[in-house]
Amino acid sequence: MGDKPIWEQIGSSFVQHYYQLFDTDRTQLGAIYIDASCLTWEGQQFQGKAAIVEKLSSLPFTKIAHNITAQDHQPTPDSCILSMVVGQLKADDDQILGFHQTFLLRSYSSSWVCTNEVFRLALHNL
Amino acid sequence: MGDKPIWEQIGSSFVQHYYQLFDTDRTQLGAIYIDASCLTWEGQQFQGKAAIVEKLSSLPFTKIAHNITAQDHQPTPDSCILSMVVGQLKADEDPIMGFHQIFLLKNINDAWVCTNDMFRLAIHNFG
Repeated sequence: MGDKPIWEQIGSSFVQHYYQLFDTDRTQLGAIYIDASCLTWEGQQFQGKAAIVEKLSSLPFTKIAHNITAQDHQPTPDSCILSMVVGQLKADDDQILGFHQTFLLRSYSSSWVCTNEVFRLALHNL
Repeated sequence: MGDKPIWEQIGSSFVQHYYQLFDTDRTQLGAIYIDASCLTWEGQQFQGKAAIVEKLSSLPFTKIAHNITAQDHQPTPDSCILSMVVGQLKADEDPIMGFHQIFLLKNINDAWVCTNDMFRLAIHNFG
């Protein structure tokens, strides 16, 4: 763990925490967002912690499991951390679907919060 | 065009330009990066315009075509633009594959440059 750059440690720690929370009780995700946070979920925009948590809590499934295939982290010029996740998910008894998600993390009052998040299912128009 | 937020106009304009350049002559992509730019390509890290252009130029295909399925753009607190692209690509005579890419754009000296770029093919380990 000591060999990895700090942004990779912070990024992967955040990603692990995010999906663990999401898969067990996504109503608890509020702490990672602030009022300036933006979420784009399958093309729909949500602004601020309250609106984001409401959207995530109201997603129409009971069971959800994410499996991360790959994650990449980079430091940005403004001292933020940019994380990209590619993986697969299974909601209730639906088929397994690929997904793509991005997080921009910022240090805020001694913790790392998510100011920008984008989620898309990997569905293509064949 | 007047209805879309400015970050969406800039982001989609950049994305269109990037893939057009990539698909016609990717050795010309240098202008969109700076010395502080980072690229992560399939898990490998590249730092700075020169290293990035060298990596992209040396990718082992002659023909490449990207097809964008969806793109999303957001403004960041530091006045940057975050763009995420999901799409499919075809290299030479290989099968069509899904890909995921993100760009972080920053305005430097009145031009939008890419400071962070990440690319992954949508290949999953089954089981």
